[in-house]
Amino acid sequence: MKKILFITSLIAITFSACEKPTQTDLTINFTQTVDGNRLITGSGCSDGGECFHDHSCCNLGKTLGYTNDAGENYNIQTLKYLISDITLHSDDGNTLLLDEVHFIDISDASTFSFTVKDVPNNNYTSISYTMGLDTIRNINNLYVNEIFHSAMVWPETNGGGYHYMKLEGAYNNDSTFYNTHTGGTMGGDYSFNNMEDISLTVDDDLGDVSINVNMEINNWYNSPNQIEFSSYGMGIMMNMMMQMNIQMNGITDVFSIDVSK
Amino acid sequence: MKQLICCVLATILLFSCKKEGCIDPIALNYNPDVHINNGSCEYITTTPYDIITPYGFPDMIIPEDNPMTFEGVELGRKLFNDPILSANNTLACINCHMPESSFSDPNQLSTGIDGFLGNRNSSALINLGWSSSFNWDGSSTTLEEQAFEPITNSLEMHNSWNNVENTLNQDEEYLLLFKQAYNIDYIDSTHVVMAIAQFERTLISNNSKFDKYSRGEEVFTKSELNGFAIFNSEKGDCFHCHGTSLFTDNLFHNNGLDVEPFLDLGLGKITENTSDNGKFKTPTLRNIEVSAPYMHDGRFATLEKVIEHYDSGGHFSSTVDPLMKKLGVGLNLTNQEKSDLIAFLKTLTDYDYITAE
Repeated sequence: MKKILFITSLIAITFSACEKPTQTDLTINFTQTVDGNRLITGSGCSDGGECFHDHSCCNLGKTLGYTNDAGENYNIQTLKYLISDITLHSDDGNTLLLDEVHFIDISDASTFSFTVKDVPNNNYTSISYTMGLDTIRNINNLYVNEIFHSAMVWPETNGGGYHYMKLEGAYNNDSTFYNTHTGGTMGGDYSFNNMEDISLTVDDDLGDVSINVNMEINNWYNSPNQIEFSSYGMGIMMNMMMQMNIQMNGITDVFSIDVSK
Repeated sequence: MKQLICCVLATILLFSCKKEGCIDPIALNYNPDVHINNGSCEYITTTPYDIITPYGFPDMIIPEDNPMTFEGVELGRKLFNDPILSANNTLACINCHMPESSFSDPNQLSTGIDGFLGNRNSSALINLGWSSSFNWDGSSTTLEEQAFEPITNSLEMHNSWNNVENTLNQDEEYLLLFKQAYNIDYIDSTHVVMAIAQFERTLISNNSKFDKYSRGEEVFTKSELNGFAIFNSEKGDCFHCHGTSLFTDNLFHNNGLDVEPFLDLGLGKITENTSDNGKFKTPTLRNIEVSAPYMHDGRFATLEKVIEHYDSGGHFSSTVDPLMKKLGVGLNLTNQEKSDLIAFLKTLTDYDYITAE
């Protein structure tokens, strides 16, 4: 009996000694709020819950529950967007590309986050990311095999490449729709890169970490440019002034970063 | 006595040693009575069928357990054309999916073997290898799974799989063809749908005037060019659902055809999600000229009527897509714009495709 115990403990010790040191897995979460409250959509719940049998959150989303600075009441039924070049920067001057392009679709919970396994030890001091695709990436058919290809394609005759964002819903009444579609209008680049300071020291003992990238949707419409859905006309995909105004609002205060260890 | 037993054993051993042949069970000439392999095994050799990805198309989705082979494709083609799959041997797949109609049915609804009409317009079969949802309501996620359905549907072929298997297994030619394509000795439903799916993956259209225009081989008329511009403009706004080289987003939308309550719930019936009610799969616009009538129920006989629907803006319902942004107002296209749009849509007809074998 003693012998068995001895052998068992020897094996146990050997195994634990061989175990890999704790690695740090970094999860990037994409969340959306309107006026600071978690987004509720008309066609599903933003937490990925399904709208079976008129689940209450879905009914709530059907009402025009949100109001922009122009005083228009609206709801959100579709939100798909691309965040690219998601990169960590460390104080030794190195960069770590976490993902080239990430597609978020609020009707598909599997798109709400991605995880990078075993992040190298370093002292990370900032994170940068691009809303949409810059001119290097916004090329026709470049992502033909990605799931977002068909959902985000932007006609070649209008500049080509991909939509950066499709944000759609109703305003003023149930049957008046807005389509906030942003992208490279006539080849112009209206993507923008944000860089924010973080304090993230990854060492072997850190364990799992997550960084939250939040989109405050109402801020697309509010400042510095007040945007009215009623001025969209036939649509804004070909409207360079509107694309510029939305881009400026986006740079100002749409995105925020939160690190949790 | 001992000697006798020894003798008998030795004889048996000697005899069994003499039995040489093919001992590999998966070989064509496998002999279960032999124990020594003499290298005579003959195997099925299938010829891989390479799908060439057309320009601007994604890589095709091909299940790992059903790789494309010439033998599989030819078998699938034969099954597709053979009424043997229907209960009374009168109706083949091709009867409701006619090549000259882009593998759809020019009738609003198709007639099954018992003389009953189906519920929806027969879908055009075209570039299906790039889709991961099938039927107007997305009830199948693979071509293999889809092929199970019409054979037993009481409004279509009204057969039972038991009967299909019995019939096919009595047919010497099919037994040989299934052996050659899949190396099976008993034909089962799984391999029937696998072969049909292989054939369907070869139904590729990318040689329309539009494709030739894209490749710089042909030029558009002024009207076609103008129609193309309307198609891609926010005014016409066709491209949001019918974009990419496939001319479909392969997603589901409610395009404002009806007010509630819906007669046909579409995707909602499959997902049991009320917010999916009234949504149907976006069809490709390739070969749209020849795949009339239009919509899931074939309600529009002509492209003109389809354009009229969108031009009028459509009807409001709780699940109508926000992309129908001129709901109740209408696009207000001029007559010239409408005819230009139709001229462009007709450039998507691939005459090679609809006249192919």
